[in-house]
Amino acid sequence: MSDRMAWFWILAEPAAMVLIMIVIRTVILGRNTHIAGAEYIPWFIVGLFGFYLFRENMMRLLNAITANKALFAYRQVKPIDTVLVRSCLESLIRTVVFIIFIVLGGVIGFGLIPEEPIMAIGYWLLLWVLGLGVGLIGSVVSVLVPEIGRVIKIMSFPLLMVSGVLFPINYLPYELQQYLLFNPIVHGIELLRSAFFDSYKVLPNVSVLYLSLWNLSLLLIGLVLHIKFELKLKAK
Amino acid sequence: MIIVKNLSKRYHNHHGSKWVLKDVNFTIPSNVSVGLIGGNGAGKSTLLRIISGMDSPDKGEVIRECKVSWPIGLSGGFQGSMTGRQNVKFVARVHGCDDIGALISKVQSFAEIGESFDEPVKTYSSGMKSRLAFGLSLAFDFDVFLSDEATSVGDQAFRKKASDTFKSKVGESSIIIVSHAEDILRELCSAGIWLKEGQAIWFDDINTAIDEYNVYSGIPPIEVRRELRRAARRNKL
Repeated sequence: MSDRMAWFWILAEPAAMVLIMIVIRTVILGRNTHIAGAEYIPWFIVGLFGFYLFRENMMRLLNAITANKALFAYRQVKPIDTVLVRSCLESLIRTVVFIIFIVLGGVIGFGLIPEEPIMAIGYWLLLWVLGLGVGLIGSVVSVLVPEIGRVIKIMSFPLLMVSGVLFPINYLPYELQQYLLFNPIVHGIELLRSAFFDSYKVLPNVSVLYLSLWNLSLLLIGLVLHIKFELKLKAK
Repeated sequence: MIIVKNLSKRYHNHHGSKWVLKDVNFTIPSNVSVGLIGGNGAGKSTLLRIISGMDSPDKGEVIRECKVSWPIGLSGGFQGSMTGRQNVKFVARVHGCDDIGALISKVQSFAEIGESFDEPVKTYSSGMKSRLAFGLSLAFDFDVFLSDEATSVGDQAFRKKASDTFKSKVGESSIIIVSHAEDILRELCSAGIWLKEGQAIWFDDINTAIDEYNVYSGIPPIEVRRELRRAARRNKL
């Protein structure tokens, strides 16, 4: 029973989020706020799923080690294995759900088919690796210092607000934009959108290189932490 | 053969750190089954975990010149939300088993837990868990099996089955047991190690080890206890 409900929520949660945002947008903001080169609903859905991919990696990996502690009885199993497996599983689920939405969107006529599919897949992978990097670090840190795990969980909503998922960042003043662009998630989501909508005007200064450097650094730190604290993580 | 060299292990707690094992040395020859005895907190389980490679020592090393199992115990070894079958499959894959199907049916028939084999492990009783754990480890050809109180929760029939299986393996594999059940130790082990104040004392005969440990902790020897029990029964009548 609980398994069936879990599958239902995987689809229902983003669907509900999309509905709520459409309502907010039509009722509060009015219809004339315009995004250059993209319809609002597909624009929002792509951003939301890109963010979810990152968020699920960040959040679900926090508990990966404690949830599978019993398996460290086998010396072949290392803490990082549980993290990597969970990341693959979560990302696969997110990918399948996204594909379902793309197909459904196509049927309804939203035009969610990416115009540059290869680039879309590439940026999707970059967002995954970003989440994996944060998750690798979080998985170690939250075992050693549980309070940090809590802080990471709390950060999920504020991150949604500053990642340009709900409203276009170029509505904001230029000075503020520059600060928001420090956030690598913004880069990932904007790039993903650019692959979906050919005529979409991406924020200036969005860069694949910047995102990739974040990915590399986070992965490196995460892997080093896992090597350094492997024995401690097993013993906890 | 398992060689334990200058092994030290400590745990950090709020009051500083206490050495659980301090400069422990011994060698367990091939095909010698050993019982680990000592009071609560003497470091028996810790030593077993270090021998298995699950935990690491602060100083010293363990040299394993044979295939050593994981510690078969009351806790751990299973992912609770997966079924018994899935757990067995996982462990078989982790150990690089060639014929997973055969291994699964071997474990299933040994554990005798019926339809629960396809239920999540978190729904199991402790007895069922130990049945599965024992069946699983016995399905592999380890040279040395490590058991951490694993036999203590099973019912009589299962305990007999487990010890019979071990006896049938005498000559090809041995066992290292942590247990407070003297009868099991006397039945399955030939040698003994007494963990006392961070030191390991080796005994060639498990009976001597248990007797000395009992004298040390003020428990009368087994003959005296039997006599007392008989006397108590007589008094009741």
